[in-house]
Amino acid sequence: MAEKRETIRQGVIITGFGGQGIVLAGRILGMAAALGDHKESTLVQSYGPESRGGACCAQVIISNNVIQYPYVAMPDVLVCMSHSAYEKYKDQLKPDGVLLTDKDLVRPDEKRDYFSIPATRMAEELGRKMMANIIMLGFTTAITSLVSVESAKEAVTSSVPKGTEEKNIIAFTKGYDYGLSKIKGREKKVIGRAGAIS
Amino acid sequence: MENFKIIVFLCNWGPHTAYHDLQDKEYGVPSEIKMVRIPCTGRISKALLFKAFEMGADGVALVGCKSGTCRYGSGTENAAMNTEDTKDILELLGLGNDRMRFSTFLPDETNSLKRFLEDFCSNVKKLGPSPIKPSREDRISAVPPKNMREIVKEHNVFACQDCGKCTSSCPLALSGKQYSPRAIAASIIAEEMDSDEVQKDVWSCLTCGTCYERCPSDVNFPSFIRDVRGCLSDNGYNECHQTHGGFFQSLMRAMTFSELKSQKWNNLPGDIKIDPKSKILFFGGCAPYFDVFFRNHRGIKTSNILMDSLRLLNFFDIQPAILNNERCCGHDLLWSGDRKSFLKLAKLTVESIHDLGIEEVITSCPECFKTISSDYEANGIKLNFKVTHMYEFLENEIDKAAVSFDGLDRHITYQDSCRLARHGKIKDFPRKLIRRLQPESFTEMMDSGNAALCCGNCAWTGCDSFSKALQSKRIRQAHSTGSDLLVTSCPKCQIHLRCAMEDPFLGKEFMMEMQDLTSIIAKTICWD
Ligand code: SF4
Ligand code: SF4
Ligand code: SF4
Repeated sequence: MAEKRETIRQGVIITGFGGQGIVLAGRILGMAAALGDHKESTLVQSYGPESRGGACCAQVIISNNVIQYPYVAMPDVLVCMSHSAYEKYKDQLKPDGVLLTDKDLVRPDEKRDYFSIPATRMAEELGRKMMANIIMLGFTTAITSLVSVESAKEAVTSSVPKGTEEKNIIAFTKGYDYGLSKIKGREKKVIGRAGAIS
Repeated sequence: MENFKIIVFLCNWGPHTAYHDLQDKEYGVPSEIKMVRIPCTGRISKALLFKAFEMGADGVALVGCKSGTCRYGSGTENAAMNTEDTKDILELLGLGNDRMRFSTFLPDETNSLKRFLEDFCSNVKKLGPSPIKPSREDRISAVPPKNMREIVKEHNVFACQDCGKCTSSCPLALSGKQYSPRAIAASIIAEEMDSDEVQKDVWSCLTCGTCYERCPSDVNFPSFIRDVRGCLSDNGYNECHQTHGGFFQSLMRAMTFSELKSQKWNNLPGDIKIDPKSKILFFGGCAPYFDVFFRNHRGIKTSNILMDSLRLLNFFDIQPAILNNERCCGHDLLWSGDRKSFLKLAKLTVESIHDLGIEEVITSCPECFKTISSDYEANGIKLNFKVTHMYEFLENEIDKAAVSFDGLDRHITYQDSCRLARHGKIKDFPRKLIRRLQPESFTEMMDSGNAALCCGNCAWTGCDSFSKALQSKRIRQAHSTGSDLLVTSCPKCQIHLRCAMEDPFLGKEFMMEMQDLTSIIAKTICWD
């Protein structure tokens, strides 16, 4: 039966410096899809020199069918948390793919549309720079339809170190709210109400 | 049959000759008209014109000499300006500007004066009696008076250690005035009610709370002064200490009459969306009245703050309710000693908010915020809603929103409002908001936050040359930060500081641009 369904398969690349928690973000995303939303998911993480500070990358596939091949050549969603990672992966993104960036760390080319969030700055304001990845995950959950918000929150809670669950959920919610607000802002811009004074 | 009361202020010179002529010809002046003979219409201030209405007049006419025939030169023009301002305020208040007229006559224009009086009389009668109907009892306090002993006890003034920290931090004392809070406290404890400390100095205090921050015995001097004023006022309104002839106190007392239907929110700009069914109410405050009163002097436009607040609420998808007959929150009456009228305003305001089933009141005025959020309950008026200051609302919304700000390439400094910073403990929200604006620079003045200097006046009471000295000091502090924009949070700070800046002896360099923080945010915020 299952094979007859139309396959909806989304490839995601999350990338940034080593140490930003890129792989953890990828794992949480995959777990949310598999455990919470009952889909199939795979994760390929790059180890090696990259995880010590160079460009680092997590490739996640989320599908409603069995996944035969776990590598993502052309992602549907590209999440960039550093400019060098952006430079490296930007051309692989599908033409109608979604680009998500850290506002302060990535300066995307003007020619394509993208969604940015000052995730690292927000994490610093929350007092933990390491949580930028979780904020980014919240943002990604709001902007894309990769995973449901409930599953994402559950996956965050079960993946982060014991005792930090609450803080991480706050971070996730911050990114998520920002994402929702971003979508709302876009709608307002479309109807010509970008500012408070028209 | 209603007994109408129409006051005609009649100038001694031109029109009085005509009036005299009417009397000589045995013309019966309508019995409603009470004529008050005055030396010059130019000296009838807005406060005097309005006072007549506060005392129950149904109509007021100011009758002077034809332009160019004023014995003192500028009387006619002054009168024209004063009447115009007063008329506009009557209109805002919901009394209607038709109840007031200004006209001029030559000494021989007997017939036109007669026609004017008849016409005005019949017009006022058509308008019906004024909704402001003070009764004799109104003047006598219905609130049980507190005596000084009780007040001293209630505020624990006996705990004063006579240490003098209050006097040495008081901005009035520091501006050179012979004035000492410690001495006021001592005189009141000693019940020296006729001393200058009690009779004069009680009315000078800015109730700014600087001394309270320092007092080791935790004597809340501002509240103490407030209650002492209330007690002294039970023997009259103490109008001689009120600035601008007590105009604002009169205006606010007029609002205690429930039949009055304010027109303050008429003519809202078309882009602002209001929802009468909303559970969130925006409370504006009296800025629109101030703008009219000061328009010929200071070019003040503080009602923009209300409009910009509404726009910001709309920006964050809140279409608030407003009180169609919004009244003054009562702050100025409470702090200038008229506790009874304050209570009336407070009750009317809370009733109308409860009638709308409001859950949250948002206001951008520091005084409305402080008064509604704490003084109402302290005076036994229960609230079924919470009160939020605009800055708290904005900071919370902006914190979770994908918004940015158009660059503000200004060097700015910030004037804390006493009611917000010291009384309301809101110091951090405005600073966070200012940093979000990413100005060229943000430099604090020498005295800021808890130690910030007052703008020089509170509750339109006790403004004198020392207030001016204090204001000049504050403006110098602002200049010496090297900033070119003074950001304010209270409409009155703008009014009082602007007044000081216009001192002709201090020169043009003394001027500094001022803008309200809410308005700056409204101008620069945009969706990302
Ligand atoms: S600071 Fe307090 S204790 Fe000291 S003199 Fe003033 S009121 Fe008294
Ligand atoms: S409240 Fe302000 S003006 Fe009044 S005594 Fe204290 S410091 Fe001086
Ligand atoms: S500072 Fe100016 S505007 Fe303020 S009360 Fe004094 S005279 Fe009036």
